[in-house]
Amino acid sequence: MFGQWESLVIFTLLNVMLTVGVYVTAMSGQLSLATAAIAGLGGYAAAILTRNFGWPFVPAILVGAVVGAFVGAFIAAVTLRMRDFILKLTTLAFGEMIAVVAFNIDYIGGANSFTGIPAYTGFWSCLIGLLIATYLAWRFDGSRLGFASRAVRDDVVAAAATGISVLQVRVVTFALGAAICGAAGALQAHYMLIVSPQELGFFVSLNFIIFLLFGGMYVLWGAMLGATVLTILPELMRFTTEYRHVLFGLVITVVVLFRPQGLIPRIPTGVSGRFSRVGKTARQQAQ
Amino acid sequence: MNLFLQQLLNGVIIGSTYAVIAIGFALVFTVLRVINFAHPDIFMVGMFGGLLCAKYVSSNFFVVAAASALSAGLVGLILERAVLRPLRGRDALMTLIATLGVGIMLENGVAALISPDVVAFPPVISRQPIDLGAVSVSKPQIVNLIVSLISLAIVSYYVRLTPYGRATRAVAERPDVAAAFGVNVSRVSQVAVTLASMLAGCAAVSVGLLYGNAWAFIGLAYGIKGFICILIAGNRYFEGVMLVALALGILEALITGYLSSTYRDAIAFLLLIAVLYVRPNGLFGSYST
Amino acid sequence: MTPLLAISDLHVAYKAVPALSGVSIELFEGEILVILGANGAGKTTIVKSILGLTNIQRGSVSLRTDDASHDLRKLQTHQIHRLGVTWVPEGRQLWGAMTVLDNLKMGGFASDPTETRQRIEEMLDWFPRLRERQDQLAGSLSGGEQQMVALARALIARPKLILMDELSLGLAPLVVAEVFQLVKKVNSLGVSVLLVEQNARQALRIATRAYLLEVGHVVESGPAAELANKQSVQDIFLGGHS
Repeated sequence: MFGQWESLVIFTLLNVMLTVGVYVTAMSGQLSLATAAIAGLGGYAAAILTRNFGWPFVPAILVGAVVGAFVGAFIAAVTLRMRDFILKLTTLAFGEMIAVVAFNIDYIGGANSFTGIPAYTGFWSCLIGLLIATYLAWRFDGSRLGFASRAVRDDVVAAAATGISVLQVRVVTFALGAAICGAAGALQAHYMLIVSPQELGFFVSLNFIIFLLFGGMYVLWGAMLGATVLTILPELMRFTTEYRHVLFGLVITVVVLFRPQGLIPRIPTGVSGRFSRVGKTARQQAQ
Repeated sequence: MNLFLQQLLNGVIIGSTYAVIAIGFALVFTVLRVINFAHPDIFMVGMFGGLLCAKYVSSNFFVVAAASALSAGLVGLILERAVLRPLRGRDALMTLIATLGVGIMLENGVAALISPDVVAFPPVISRQPIDLGAVSVSKPQIVNLIVSLISLAIVSYYVRLTPYGRATRAVAERPDVAAAFGVNVSRVSQVAVTLASMLAGCAAVSVGLLYGNAWAFIGLAYGIKGFICILIAGNRYFEGVMLVALALGILEALITGYLSSTYRDAIAFLLLIAVLYVRPNGLFGSYST
Repeated sequence: MTPLLAISDLHVAYKAVPALSGVSIELFEGEILVILGANGAGKTTIVKSILGLTNIQRGSVSLRTDDASHDLRKLQTHQIHRLGVTWVPEGRQLWGAMTVLDNLKMGGFASDPTETRQRIEEMLDWFPRLRERQDQLAGSLSGGEQQMVALARALIARPKLILMDELSLGLAPLVVAEVFQLVKKVNSLGVSVLLVEQNARQALRIATRAYLLEVGHVVESGPAAELANKQSVQDIFLGGHS
């Protein structure tokens, strides 16, 4: 439907969806460097069901989401005591382990990748997936648990002192974020028609962290904007084939240098779920 | 027994290279509280600096090593001045992303300018294996080990026994107090980043000689291991980081020898999760942020 | 007589929260000046502002040396140290992963090495207990011993002015008395002292003059003996504010 641009459109939608998942996880101060692995697991799970067991598309995607949620909850529980934000980078170890295991399981193709997946995914399924993910993230953003998450992100000790269960918040945010990533991975598998263990590593996951921080990790729309811009940008820079990745790196560094909170900073002047919500309550109270 | 000794030796050699890279991460991390994700690519720049020198200038080992140390050190110096210093005191994650951007620039820049593929590293040192009875080593392996050990000795000497090194540890633990006692924190950071880069450059040349090739995207493989070593060890003691790196190299070599090389890469990650689960501040403790 | 240290109309805020709003303080050479105040009154912020460790919004901080007057706002922290200002921070803030000796060496980081070695010997004579423990990690010492290291560290560089923040905090009463005697001794050797304290009773006993700070403002100031009798200061004696 978009001609030569179709794959770019679909990849943009999927990348934004994955970044929304990373955003939800990051809401409680956790950073997932296992995104690609979680998405890959979702992809493997859904693809096994559709290819080997003849499942229909939608239930397979849901299973992908559930698998993601379980893995996310597990990682959150294990890394709970690691407070330092930098140590959160430990999540990359889970991703890499999943990748190594995937390399060694013959049932899913091992190093030769899992192939022969039916081509179910198209523009509309990606768009619907993204809309659902965005809706979930947006609702979560304004929910009680969403506020609790931000409290945990800003100050774990203070949040715990006010009676917030850090474990609950972290497990829920990681599970929800990972569920979105799992579903996105399942969608991706049925578009690429292949899941390969090479694509599960942390360096792929790092891309989504870049998207998130580039756009601004404090605002949902910022994260989505970051993913959109940075997915499309390399394509727009095609004119300089050789150096486009160099330029890509330059853009990232320069934006961080001049906008240290990302494109959309913490207290946005434009629209954001948080901002308009606060404004709405204030208006209601005024009436 | 022979296999054991051979793998032990191989492990020590690879582990010492991990240690040099890990110590680079650790130096920068302790001083600036930032993971410098450009570090693996500075390593790579050193490798190509040495390669170009060997090809066009001189194939004397010491000249090649000096060229790689200088090229990597120069990149480190610029990185500190242009990126790390302006971002000091900002969100550590944003700095991480900025350094990642620099890393992307470096690897793709080298790929575009020289080659995106694996290229041969000129044989500056003969690759003839030397038979030591029970085990055999090659000359590049010995060079690799010596270069790494000298690098580690330099770092140890610097941070333990020189006034600037002492100031480096002081900045690592309490930057404000260090500044209040006359330490120019920017200068200390600059020296730390440059030293880390120069040593990584030397290590890169010895790796290039060891395998006989160089690659614009080689940084990741070594970088991730070095990075994991500092996470496992914690940043409180530099020697702890070195120890973990050596242990990791030996473990990997033994697993390759006795089990299978496919599971080799998993051990680092398994170790990381297990250690941090039990000791969230790392094996030897960390400075809190 | 021009003051050694002059702070005037100082405004400092952390993010949006004001910590100091228009504080003016003068410290003359050779005196022990005490700044009293409850928790959160902004005492530590004054010390950190002198050292260039805060974001000053308005006002001036200047230090006089033999030859000139220096605007400290234009200097970086390590440059301020070179003008002869050292610091005994709140909670001592030793380098816990370094030995006692290394902590003392850091005290003389910017000074001549031979001179530093000599000063360290002097300090170890002052504090014989530290000589015994010079190779231990500073973090492993008791609170009182750590305070000695913090004091000694601040004395190595022969400062003209020492900023002492909450010296008595967390120390046993007997040790507190000992520490305050030390402050007097240091002062008698010609070092000016700015002492920030919650322990008003003991601090006023050794001070020449004092300021009382309340939520970012100076509310009282004058000779120490005079202030000791004021009601607002008495409130702090009783711990009514903390």
